[in-house]
Amino acid sequence: MMLFLQDAADAATEVAADTAVVSATAVDIANSTFAGNLYAYLIVSGALFLLGLAAILTRRNSLYVLMGVELILNSANLNFVAFARFGNYGLDGQVMALFVIVLAAAEAAIALAIVLRIFNDFGSIDITRTDSLRD
Amino acid sequence: MLDFMFIFFASLALLGGLLMAFHPNIVHSAFALVAALFGVAGLYWTLGADFLGATQVLLYVGGITVLLLFAVMLSTRDAARISIARYALMAPIVGLLGAFLVTTGKALVPIVRAAGGALGPTEPTTEKIGNLFMDPTAFMLPFEILAVLLLVVLVGAITLARRGEEDAA
Repeated sequence: MMLFLQDAADAATEVAADTAVVSATAVDIANSTFAGNLYAYLIVSGALFLLGLAAILTRRNSLYVLMGVELILNSANLNFVAFARFGNYGLDGQVMALFVIVLAAAEAAIALAIVLRIFNDFGSIDITRTDSLRD
Repeated sequence: MLDFMFIFFASLALLGGLLMAFHPNIVHSAFALVAALFGVAGLYWTLGADFLGATQVLLYVGGITVLLLFAVMLSTRDAARISIARYALMAPIVGLLGAFLVTTGKALVPIVRAAGGALGPTEPTTEKIGNLFMDPTAFMLPFEILAVLLLVVLVGAITLARRGEEDAA
C-alpha cells in the first residue's frame, strides 16, 4: 500500500514537472518580443488574410481576385511554418508550405489561362460581366 | 536584431498587402504584391526556414508575379500606360538595393542562426527537406503526385490559352 502511494506521489511530481516545463516555454514565448512570439506571426498572417479577402471582395477585375488568393495562400503558409516552429513539429510545416507554394503556382498558371480565354471571348475580365460558360 | 528583422519584413508584407488591395492601378498592385511576398519570405527566414524562404523568392516573387504581369498586359484594353522610361530610371536603384540586401543578408544569416528566436538556434534545412521528399516513408508519394499534377497543369494551361480554330464549332 505504501509502495503504491509512493508510486502515485512520484507520478504526481512527474506530471507537475512536465506541466512546469510546458508552462515555462509558454511563458518564455509570451514574454519575448516579436520574433520569438507566435502571436506576432499570427497577427501578421491574419492581417494578410484580411487584406487578401478585401482585394477579392472589393475588386471587379478578376486579376485582383487572383492576387488576393495568392495573398491568402501566403498567410496560411505563414501559419503552417510558425506553428511548426513554435510547436516543435520539425520540418512538417515547411514541407506542407512547399506543397502549397507549388499548388499555388499551378493554380496561377491555369487561372491566368482562363482569364486570357475570358478576355478573348468577352472582351473584358470584369467578373460581374462574365455570366455564361458558352456562347 | 531578430526583432528588427521581424518588424522590417512584417511591415514590408503588410504595407505591400495594403497597397495591393487598395491601389487603383493594377500594375502598381502587382508590384506591391511582389513586396508583400518578399516580406513573407523574410518572415520565413526569421523562423529558421531558409530553403522555404528562397523557394518563395524564386517561385512567387520571380515566377507567379511575372505570370500575373503578363496577364495584366495581355488583358487590359487601355494598357495601364506604363512609362518604360520611369521604370528604366528605377532599375539602377532597385539593383543597388538588391545588392545591399544580398550583402547584409549574407552577414545576417549567422546572426539569425545563432539567435533563432525564443526557441534556440536553428540549423540549415535544405538537406533535410530533400531527404524527406525522397524518403518513401515520408513525402515521396505526394512529391511524385505533384510532379504528375504539374505535367497536367502544363498541358492544360497550353490547351486553355491557345485560341483554337475549332472554337466556332
